[in-house]
Amino acid sequence: MERSPYDKGIRDAIPIVSAYFPISMTFGVIATSGGIPWAITILISAWIYAGSAQFMLVSLALSGTSPTSTVITVLLVNLRHFLYGTTLGPSFMKWSEPKRWLSAFGLTDEVFAVTSSRFITETPLPAYQVTFTYICYISWLLGTIIGASIGKVVPSVVSDILSFALPALFVALLMLGNRSIPYFIAAILGAGLSVLADRLSMESFGIVMGALVGATCGMFLQRVSMNLPTRRS
Amino acid sequence: MNSLFFETILIGAGTYLIRAGSLSSGSRIKWPDWVHKWLSFVTPAVLGALLGPLLLSPESDWNSQLHNPTLIATVPTAVVGWFSRNLLLTVAVGVGCFAILRYWI
Repeated sequence: MERSPYDKGIRDAIPIVSAYFPISMTFGVIATSGGIPWAITILISAWIYAGSAQFMLVSLALSGTSPTSTVITVLLVNLRHFLYGTTLGPSFMKWSEPKRWLSAFGLTDEVFAVTSSRFITETPLPAYQVTFTYICYISWLLGTIIGASIGKVVPSVVSDILSFALPALFVALLMLGNRSIPYFIAAILGAGLSVLADRLSMESFGIVMGALVGATCGMFLQRVSMNLPTRRS
Repeated sequence: MNSLFFETILIGAGTYLIRAGSLSSGSRIKWPDWVHKWLSFVTPAVLGALLGPLLLSPESDWNSQLHNPTLIATVPTAVVGWFSRNLLLTVAVGVGCFAILRYWI
């Protein structure tokens, strides 16, 4: 018996929903307990919908970073989505343009991970993709609403402990990546440069610089290490 | 907080354009290989750059770093992430370890 695309979409969404719900709730708690208005907290989840970028935005906003470097830094964090779009692009070739734009909104890290594994074996159906994508989105939104609503009454001990969710999320994302030596060198270079900039009080500029230099060095290192075994003479 | 509203609007619009623009153009044109290569290294570099200042305490001596619960809790978090490759589990274990280090030790 063939399962309907809606059923498949719901089934694939379950593991993501179970991760999104607690993480978005944590986001809501951290944002409102830090003093960000309820409505803005919901707007961030509804309009940006990118976990690590949202946490980053809140921590930069609460530390009083300038709007320009906040926007640049967070967009740089989200630049990796360009990779997701171009990777999935060929599988969406037969779709109409509006449907592409509709499902692109929900293309988060986790949705990309599931989508790209699905599309290896079968051609994507818009009904499946849209169901799957927007169930994940709704769970993110609901979690944020609940978290934001209880953020003000949550004891400060709890919100203090939950503040580790941000570095933990970054560490988890780092470990989910391709984990080659150049990959980790890019991460270490990025970390080193941003810490250096931080000590010299150039905070968020350091994140941008660390990211650009780290990525470029990582790419060249990979090139060098790939060329080594085939070098002649 | 007024500026946060505009930051949110700009970041959301930019993020959507990155997602939709790449998906739409990706189904029509093929990007050069080095663009993909470079972008695949932006992720670890950005994550590292974000983590660095978050993990180290503001003091610069080694002793205070060794007693910094944020930095120490990163170790079990990374180990669980490495072996489980599970986002929720990694974050949960990380937060749990941080809670123990921060309040019970």
